[in-house]
Amino acid sequence: MSNFSSNDDALHSVFRRDLRTEWIARNRLHPLHDSVVSAQQGGEVRGPTGLLRKNPHVIGFIGPNGLKRIDRANGSFVAIGGKKRVPSAKDSQRPLHLVENPEGYIMVVGDMIGGRLTSHDKDILGLAHQLAAEKSKVAVVLVCFGENKETQCDLAGVDRVIHLEGNVFEGFAPEAGLSVLQQIETSYQPMHWLFPDSVHGGSDLGSRLAARLGERPATQAWQVTSEKTISRGASGSQDISRTTPRILMLMEECANAVEDTRHEALPLALEFDVSMAEGDHRLIDQGQIDVDSNAVPLAEAEFILSAGNGIHNWDQFHSAAAALRATEGASRVAVDDGFMPRSRQVGASGTWVTARVYLAVGISGAIQHMQGIGQCDKVVAINTDAGCDMVKRADLAVIADSEAILAELTRLAQQRELSKEEEESDAA
Amino acid sequence: MIFDWLPPTLIGVLLVLAGIGAVRRINLWRAGQSEKVDILAGLMAMPKRYLHDLHHVVERDKYMSRTHVATGGGFVLAMVLVVFVHLFGVKSEILAWALLAALVIMFCGALFVAKRRLNPPSRLSKGPWMRLPKSLLTFSITFFVLTLPAAGILPEGFGGWLLTVVLSVLILMSLGEMLFGMTWGGPMKHAFAGALHLAFHRRPERFGGGRSTGLKPAVLGGDVHGVSKPTDFKWNQLLGFDACVQCGRCEAVCPAFAAGQPLNPKKLIQDMVVGFAGGTDEKYAGSPYPDGSGGVQDVGNAVGGKDQIITNGLINPDTLWSCTTCRACVEECPMMIEHVDAIVDMRRFLTLEKGDTPNKGAQVLENIIATDNPNGYSPASRTHWAADQNLNVMKEVKQADVLFWVSDGAFDMRSQRILRSFVTLLKAAKVDVAILGDEERDSGDVARRLGDDATFQSLAKRNLATMSQYRFNTIVTTDPHAFHCLKNEYGDFGSTALDGVEVLHHTTFLNRLIKEGRLQLDAFSGGKVTYHDPCYLGRYNGEYDAPRELLASLGIEVAEMERSGYRSRCCGGGGGVPITDIPGERRIADMRMEDVISTGAEMVAVGCQQCTAMLEGVVEPRPVVKDIAEILAGQLKEMH
Amino acid sequence: MQPNVNVVSLVSIGRHPQSGRSRRAEQDGRAVELGLSLVGEALTVVHVGEDQDPVLRQYAGMGLPSMTVLSQGKECDALPVLTSFLKAQLPSVVLTGVRSESGESSGMLPYLLAEALGWPLVPRVAEILHIKDGQAEVLLALPRGQRRSVQVTLPFIASVDNAAQEARQTAFGPGLRATLHVETVDSVVDDAAIQWEMSAAKPRPKRLKVVKAKTAADRMKAATAKPVGGGGKIMKNETPAEKAQAIFDLLLEEKVVR
Repeated sequence: MSNFSSNDDALHSVFRRDLRTEWIARNRLHPLHDSVVSAQQGGEVRGPTGLLRKNPHVIGFIGPNGLKRIDRANGSFVAIGGKKRVPSAKDSQRPLHLVENPEGYIMVVGDMIGGRLTSHDKDILGLAHQLAAEKSKVAVVLVCFGENKETQCDLAGVDRVIHLEGNVFEGFAPEAGLSVLQQIETSYQPMHWLFPDSVHGGSDLGSRLAARLGERPATQAWQVTSEKTISRGASGSQDISRTTPRILMLMEECANAVEDTRHEALPLALEFDVSMAEGDHRLIDQGQIDVDSNAVPLAEAEFILSAGNGIHNWDQFHSAAAALRATEGASRVAVDDGFMPRSRQVGASGTWVTARVYLAVGISGAIQHMQGIGQCDKVVAINTDAGCDMVKRADLAVIADSEAILAELTRLAQQRELSKEEEESDAA
Repeated sequence: MIFDWLPPTLIGVLLVLAGIGAVRRINLWRAGQSEKVDILAGLMAMPKRYLHDLHHVVERDKYMSRTHVATGGGFVLAMVLVVFVHLFGVKSEILAWALLAALVIMFCGALFVAKRRLNPPSRLSKGPWMRLPKSLLTFSITFFVLTLPAAGILPEGFGGWLLTVVLSVLILMSLGEMLFGMTWGGPMKHAFAGALHLAFHRRPERFGGGRSTGLKPAVLGGDVHGVSKPTDFKWNQLLGFDACVQCGRCEAVCPAFAAGQPLNPKKLIQDMVVGFAGGTDEKYAGSPYPDGSGGVQDVGNAVGGKDQIITNGLINPDTLWSCTTCRACVEECPMMIEHVDAIVDMRRFLTLEKGDTPNKGAQVLENIIATDNPNGYSPASRTHWAADQNLNVMKEVKQADVLFWVSDGAFDMRSQRILRSFVTLLKAAKVDVAILGDEERDSGDVARRLGDDATFQSLAKRNLATMSQYRFNTIVTTDPHAFHCLKNEYGDFGSTALDGVEVLHHTTFLNRLIKEGRLQLDAFSGGKVTYHDPCYLGRYNGEYDAPRELLASLGIEVAEMERSGYRSRCCGGGGGVPITDIPGERRIADMRMEDVISTGAEMVAVGCQQCTAMLEGVVEPRPVVKDIAEILAGQLKEMH
Repeated sequence: MQPNVNVVSLVSIGRHPQSGRSRRAEQDGRAVELGLSLVGEALTVVHVGEDQDPVLRQYAGMGLPSMTVLSQGKECDALPVLTSFLKAQLPSVVLTGVRSESGESSGMLPYLLAEALGWPLVPRVAEILHIKDGQAEVLLALPRGQRRSVQVTLPFIASVDNAAQEARQTAFGPGLRATLHVETVDSVVDDAAIQWEMSAAKPRPKRLKVVKAKTAADRMKAATAKPVGGGGKIMKNETPAEKAQAIFDLLLEEKVVR
């Protein structure tokens, strides 16, 4: 079993103050003051004529509001000795939360997308601790399947881990997971089963378990105490308040993630033979299929290459989109002019998109268009007009003719494709 | 003489054949649905309708109106006299001279028809229509020669049997066109069907300077909604299609045709004729439907029959969805054919029966049903725009002098600027006004034009029920579409809510306020201004003057566009066209903006939020687009 | 089309998110659409609940000649009624939405049905590719438009995801003319649900970004620091190759180019 705890390689991260140097640095009358200060900030040097010269540019520091501050007290120069202190959660050792010989368990079945806890999972672990805190000696157990890359289980509030690996859990295997959960149920009779109410499988597995155990779960729960649960019903328009059931499917942000404690993250034994875990032979997973990036609905697409008035070479645009495996989008003008179908229109009057990266080529950014890309994480603009709204909004803007940039991008993408193929053939 | 009997016999036979054709044609029309028409009154009114109303439209083209008076008048007179002189053999020199005179008039007219056909504009149909001037000339010459003996100019029996035979052949040719063709489907059909169409018109209110533009409500609950096959049309609608002269004036003014969308009103009407008469459109000799990408569709593939579903093979649904319902074709049609009625009837079938409203149509209709507005906004947010306006709400005040119908512009940030400007003006004039607030619903305009009459009727009834709870004297709205529905279409639902209530567009209302001296405005000094007539204000409701008077009151001299007033070109925003979004070669709004730019105006005044949205959607640089309420609010004198 | 397969789509009364009015439920509509694309008019569409609801006509307007309504009151549990109905009908495929738009919206119904009938369940289906030799090939909808192919043995239950083909437009005329087969059933009142308190949803508080700072200076810094991301990097004078490289690096960093 792998180690899910964060590394406290404490030794080199422990910060030691050199009180003497600090004191010298503060005391301008100290004979060593000048040398210490100049060693710190290079403020004074001996010039070519032998005179001491002060470089005004290196004195002080830029404050948070962008103004230059000179700190005469040298208070902020704590990082003496060239060692910059990097504040991080790691270096403050959180107190360890111990649960010895637990008498009860709360099972959290995480989504673990890509083998890591999602923020949704962490919120649920936080909630599990709120529920556990109301009784003593209750351990929060993370149940996870398949690969586990998470290294901070201890900080996320995992007291115990049940981790099952094996091909049988890969891909779409709800029945295999369910058989494990049933085994856990018989072995531990947990106080609660907590699932993320998500499209990543949490809601599916939770519903299956509830149906199998014949217990009525609360779904889309968002306020949970050990007595009362408030969950959303009627497509989110109503709150249903009821006694907290044993199986809960929880919404995002149902509680705050664990932040103040460290946990043991010890493996919990489960008498379960992985080779016995058999999926339902009536459901055969044939794997994820290669989806043509252009067949992905615009609203769902992760990466959109969008074209506007500034595109003149449409063949090149399409081939660039194909090379980058991007979903194509367009501005209203490009659609009106008949270069792109209406279904590709991005904006308030077209499709509202949620892409992580939105690459806008030759789109100046009408207000309706900007509304439509409001939810995009990163916006990249290629435009000839440096003053347009799209460039202002963009995280990275390139002022150039689209044709040259698209040609380069296509070339880069093809190069990468080639090198990847070579690697694969080398590996084979 | 051995062949003397020939001309009268020919005339008689052709008259009989024409009679048979007429019965046959009438039976084709009678295959349509029944519709109550006052036959006798219609026939009595027909000459006046012809001479006054029809001529009024033809008169817009002076050349054609004079030509038509000469040719048509000459022919009718000549034909009557021919029957007396040649068929019944009435021996009267006076009649013969009169006939000669009529034929000369007709000949002159026919010469101008022929001249027009030398180099005909593209809107005119070719084919058999190119033959018509020749037939007309032949007719007048033949009967002129034939009548000369009767008038005593030439001796009886002049020319001998040879001339008689030659004349008989010519009679056969010309009368074949004029009589046989009239009822068997030749170009002259327009005279026969047209006259009856005028008599039995579905909207008799239109004659004598009246106006009838509201759509007729669909009957809900039957086996079919809307028009699926030609026989689902009312019989007088079928008759109306037959009246078409293929002059192509509709084609010349149709914004969708100009934009290269697959619609040509003239071809559509001809396809309707193909539909109820059966056959294909291969004989059609006018401009085809554009194909939406700069070319044209092939002619000859459309097949129709009276019991065949129209959208299966006769007409592509895209053709129907291209129409902006701007009524330019109806306004321009000398035969007063109702294109828009027919198109919406067929759309009703597509939406209510097939569930096949293209593009965003389905979604918009679903939104209207579920939220009472086309964009699916929360009905509870309808009054958010007025949060800072301190407006009375009917629910609280129960009565007011004026009910301000806000319309769905309440949800659109651009339209809200118009609404606020109008409220500013109302307050400055101290008008006792209230709004319905969240109780208001979409007027149903979009649903109705998209063919969903069930939803329109449900909205109309609910709106009427809401309004019937309150008392007010006037409804004012800034949206010409809602204005049209309230004024012309809500009357069909048996509610007394609008009895004695005057429905006004805001430009009309503001014009009154200014005339009463209740608004004090500064003169405008912002450069050249032109005015765009919204279809639903102008052609639908005849309000051309109030907006212009308002602008004039600010000292603005409107730089009129070439197409303004009743000939105004649509902005492309009506009839649900922005929703159905049928591809064309160009955008209608772009063409309209070109019209604006060609006047050199720096600003275009509009009286409709939909027009504002469409014209502002044109890529800059372009003139500024402002609603008249916004312009007026900007010139409001500061009160001290 | 798979005319020999018996497909049942279960539909419920939806709720419009903005107006709160009844409507054709989004996912149930898709379940009907998927059923229609599989077997056309041979599809059986079943609703459990009130038989007079006008929303049923909206489903029927999708081109259903008839619908089956198992008539019972609002407070009754749909599960036992449906279980016995399906046990009698023995369909090969049962399609439902993922979650109803009214009532508890727990999304448990397909799971409970599958458990009661002992059938396999495929959640969040985007498409049923084909049904052949007692096997169906099904595409599951994964987040971000990804798909997973699963082979499932008939009979099975599938919940239909929002990624499935959108429900066709409902037409007024056919909806009005469709026949509703109303069956009265022995219904069981959902006792547990009666105990619940229902109230209009309270808006959930937005989670604030809490800055854990030990010193006042740190808190000051956190409060005054400019939000990151305002004003991105602008490249003007570099060569096209450099500019493209910068973009490409960002794409790699964001892992959208793999």
